[in-house]
Amino acid sequence: MEETFEPVVLGFLCNWCAYAGADLAGVSRLQYPPNLRVIRVNCSGMVHPELVVKALSRGVDGVLVMG
Amino acid sequence: MNIELHTLSQVAEIHGGPGNFTVTLRKNPRYVDPDKCIACGLCAEKCPKKVADDYNLGVGKRKAIYIYYSQTVPLKYAIDPDACLYFAKGKCKACEKFCPTGAINFEDQGETVTLKVGALILAPGYRPFDPGVLAPYGYGRVPDVVTGLEYERLLSAGGPFQGHLIRPSDHQEPRRVAWIQCVGSRSQDGRGNPYCSTVCCMYAVKQALVTADHLPGAETTIFYMDLRAHNKEFERYYVNAQAKGVRFVRARPHSLLPGPKNRGVQVEYVGEDGRPRREDFDLAVLSVGLEAPDSAQELARTAALDLNQFRFVATNGFNPVATSRPGIYVCGAAESPKSIPRAVMDASAAAGEAARSLVAARGTLTREKTYPPERDVSADEPRIGVFICSCGINIAGVIDVKGLAEYARTLPHVAFVENNLFTCSTDTQDLIAAKIRELNLNRIVIAACTPRTHEALFQDTLREAGLNPYLVEMANIRNQGSWVHQHNPAYATLKARDQVRMAVAKAALDYPLTREAVPVVQQALVVGGGVAGLTAALELAEQGYAVTLLEKTDKLGGNAWHLNRTWKGEEVRPFLTTLIAQVENHPKIQVLKQAELTSVSGSVGNFRSEVSVAGESRSLSFGVAVLALGGQEYKPEEYLYGRHPRVLTALELDALLREKPADLKAAGPVVFIQCVGSREPGRMYCSRTCCTHSVENAIRLKELDPDKPVYILYRDLRTYGLRETLATKARELGVIFIPYTLENKPQVREADGRLQVTVTDPILGLPVQLAPDYLVLASGIRPHDPGGLVELFKLSVNEDGFFNEAHPKLRPVDSTVDGVFLAGLCHHPKPLEEAVSQAKAAATRAGIILARSAMELDAIKSEVTSHCDGCGLCVDVCPYLALKLEDYQGEDGRRHRRVASDKALCKGCGLCEATCPKEGITVHGFTLPQLEAQVEAVLEAL
Amino acid sequence: MFVVHLVALAKAIGVHRNTIRNWVKSGRLPCRPGPGKGLVFTPEDLAHLCQEFHLDPEALAPREVGGGREAQPRLVPRQAAPATREDNMTGNVVGAVMVVGGGIAGIQAALDLADSGYYVHLVEAKAGIGGKMAQLDKTYPTNDCAM
Repeated sequence: MEETFEPVVLGFLCNWCAYAGADLAGVSRLQYPPNLRVIRVNCSGMVHPELVVKALSRGVDGVLVMG
Repeated sequence: MNIELHTLSQVAEIHGGPGNFTVTLRKNPRYVDPDKCIACGLCAEKCPKKVADDYNLGVGKRKAIYIYYSQTVPLKYAIDPDACLYFAKGKCKACEKFCPTGAINFEDQGETVTLKVGALILAPGYRPFDPGVLAPYGYGRVPDVVTGLEYERLLSAGGPFQGHLIRPSDHQEPRRVAWIQCVGSRSQDGRGNPYCSTVCCMYAVKQALVTADHLPGAETTIFYMDLRAHNKEFERYYVNAQAKGVRFVRARPHSLLPGPKNRGVQVEYVGEDGRPRREDFDLAVLSVGLEAPDSAQELARTAALDLNQFRFVATNGFNPVATSRPGIYVCGAAESPKSIPRAVMDASAAAGEAARSLVAARGTLTREKTYPPERDVSADEPRIGVFICSCGINIAGVIDVKGLAEYARTLPHVAFVENNLFTCSTDTQDLIAAKIRELNLNRIVIAACTPRTHEALFQDTLREAGLNPYLVEMANIRNQGSWVHQHNPAYATLKARDQVRMAVAKAALDYPLTREAVPVVQQALVVGGGVAGLTAALELAEQGYAVTLLEKTDKLGGNAWHLNRTWKGEEVRPFLTTLIAQVENHPKIQVLKQAELTSVSGSVGNFRSEVSVAGESRSLSFGVAVLALGGQEYKPEEYLYGRHPRVLTALELDALLREKPADLKAAGPVVFIQCVGSREPGRMYCSRTCCTHSVENAIRLKELDPDKPVYILYRDLRTYGLRETLATKARELGVIFIPYTLENKPQVREADGRLQVTVTDPILGLPVQLAPDYLVLASGIRPHDPGGLVELFKLSVNEDGFFNEAHPKLRPVDSTVDGVFLAGLCHHPKPLEEAVSQAKAAATRAGIILARSAMELDAIKSEVTSHCDGCGLCVDVCPYLALKLEDYQGEDGRRHRRVASDKALCKGCGLCEATCPKEGITVHGFTLPQLEAQVEAVLEAL
Repeated sequence: MFVVHLVALAKAIGVHRNTIRNWVKSGRLPCRPGPGKGLVFTPEDLAHLCQEFHLDPEALAPREVGGGREAQPRLVPRQAAPATREDNMTGNVVGAVMVVGGGIAGIQAALDLADSGYYVHLVEAKAGIGGKMAQLDKTYPTNDCAM
């Protein structure tokens, strides 16, 4: 891997909308950068603030909560 | 699993009768084996032949091998033999060459099958009117004239332009868009249909609003005759559109001409003042109506059904889903043009009719799967099996699956890893089950496609292997991996490693979950003894369930006692007396009059109530409730009502027509004023029934005395659907229609004991004086005050006081509370036939719950842990009111408080989990440690 | 016995008079052809007919002939509708229903039936279900995605 900055973005995606949308992007073969790591949640409301703080403080470059 | 889908199929013959039909089905060949096709799309990628895409109405292209659209069921490809090169020229077969599963079968001949069924429900739908026959609209000649349905595809993110709104001629964004209403509807010249298509006004308003979302600043104009926003929340939507700048012009354009260089459209029309005008637009949308498709007529012929004069399936006003042939029912737009919620309501009603005619055979053909007993693995160390799918080349073509498998072996707790060509195939399922038994695996990770479509399949595999179904996790390396990073295989592989590591980390913390079951009390409660309540009670009783019907007064029948006829002309009284007699004599129905609910506890499947019956209290248990509280006629305060004896409401005129027709026959002019107490600030809804009611009564008056002057003063005449024929008939009989506006209402005065009505004629622009003998106020429908019911059931009402449904389109009879259903006027004003349909639908939906002895709940639910100290923060945030505080005695002998979760109400959203500061409540399947483990797994790679 | 005029009956029911003729021929209407365009009913059959189609007996202007006892056919509320329906049933009752059309209405009907304990054959002419609603972008009044 060449030494360029590759950010890691953590995504919490609601199973019923945002996660479904991410699936549909795949079905539609829409291309996007591979930097997102998705955690599927049952509702974006279940994302505990501690999880976000932990991820950011330990070096994740961004957090997306989508729902 | 109890629905068998027959696609590409047509009904060829129907024999037999109710309870026992024999149907011959012609199944056309798909040329693709659906058991082998995995919808990877390689075939369509390689197929060289492009044709117009009928799903996108020809606006886009598809290949000769295609899926109908990307979310359809079954998600299997099919070959269009009319387009395929192999069928035309005898060579190509590219799809066969590239199909990774060998699913292509050019030898497929289709088949003819014969099926035995007890009943049929016909729902062949509608076809949009083809505006090509109306030459002045320029459709097909002027490039920037499109139909409403084509415009839907232009707007859609899944459409041919990915939701980027452009006009066809030059693919530029339109700035000025016009909608032309009533194209092919409300037509008198024989080239269109004479009826109103019901849905076009609202779809145009919606399209105008969505257009403004796509292209801020775009100018939108709707040319209309009467804006028919007559369903729930539609009036507010319409008023909101006006406020947002959608321009409404009352005119029926006569010509649409091409703009300069054949781009854009010139719209010519005659304004409300009678002067001709011309305006330029970038794009014009024809709001085409709905009509019966040829396929529906063939079907009706095959089924030997009666059609009405417009070729829709004929029904009567007391049972809008029964056809002329017993055992065959109809729903949807095949019966008349209708909106989605009405189609859904009728569908549930038709299902209920079919079901109750077959009660004797319920459950005889449905199947339930059985599984081996579950192995208890809760105390065992995780032994994780990882199965990595190549999905043909869908995944393996981008991601290094062999390398990924090697990597997975290094992860903690992983006991077995295998790469499969297709992990979802039946033989691999068997292999997974075998490996679980052989290697004593107790957690499974599937690295493949999305859990949204395949998790259920793998859960089933686990159950078959004796494992709890909640011990499987999926890593979505296809939809969110190989498919979206096709040009970046190295990083896609890297990401896939992370995804597998995350899934393994979560799986290690998976534990068996059980679905709780709530026993269902096989008893229904119906509140309200009007037509809707009576119908719902009778339907449920006919399905075999005990019903208690509560009526507030001491008489059943409600508002229907005041009605004379349905809009189709059927007498209401004989229907009503029969219905009441059927209910009162039914052994399964207990009628309680002067009865009111005083308390409700419990939830779906198991409610308990106190009822006050003529002052005495009784308790009731029931599994479901249908609320049919009805409504009432608004008693006007305006237009001299109550101060002049000849000012009547519509129902008072009905009574006069019933009892003293001679008086009316002898009387002079009659004036109707529409929208009294409807469509005004504070009551921003249309009462839906009053326009038709006034038109009907105007016809009756003209029939009594053809020379009597009869005037209808209206804002928008909303004789929707086939009711439009009544308005046409009224005009033919000489009824005079004069529009007025909210700002310029008619003035009513009394002079020397006589009524004087002044209204401004829009064409003359001058006031017109009328001196009627009778003034009839088409007063709107008000909901009854639901009293404590809203609180008791924790329901919600809209700002007009009508009960809210769970979803305005898809769940129109389910209330916002599980197990509670809505019917009739308490949901929204509606005519008798729709109240009947909704009541039947409510009974069907309620019957689904009663059909089970116990309700199995989802296992993804909140659970209170020992950390809970009863602070109650979560109680406030729970949107489903599933949490409450309770007192309990601790081991120390003292009283403590903690939260208790009602599994029947909880939807597992986890707001509580995110709110709790001390892990006092958690959601199974998404516990904080499980989410944390996934975060840790991501952090590991940094 | 009562005689009802064919045209009056067709008008009251709202079908073409040829439909009435077909019904008489097929035995769907319990009557026999009478003089002219008259149809001859027993009082009971006429009362049932009025109930089935919710007709006003007066509107049919039945002429009494022969030894009829009552000038007006009396409406007898039926007890339970399915009793008569089951009488018409042919052979054994099959616990399956065919739904023709895989649009939103057909899908809803199929789901409700399957959930109520009936096996469903859902028949669709196209390669996949979804119908017209699947072609819509958004739905009013909530502007939800139609999909």
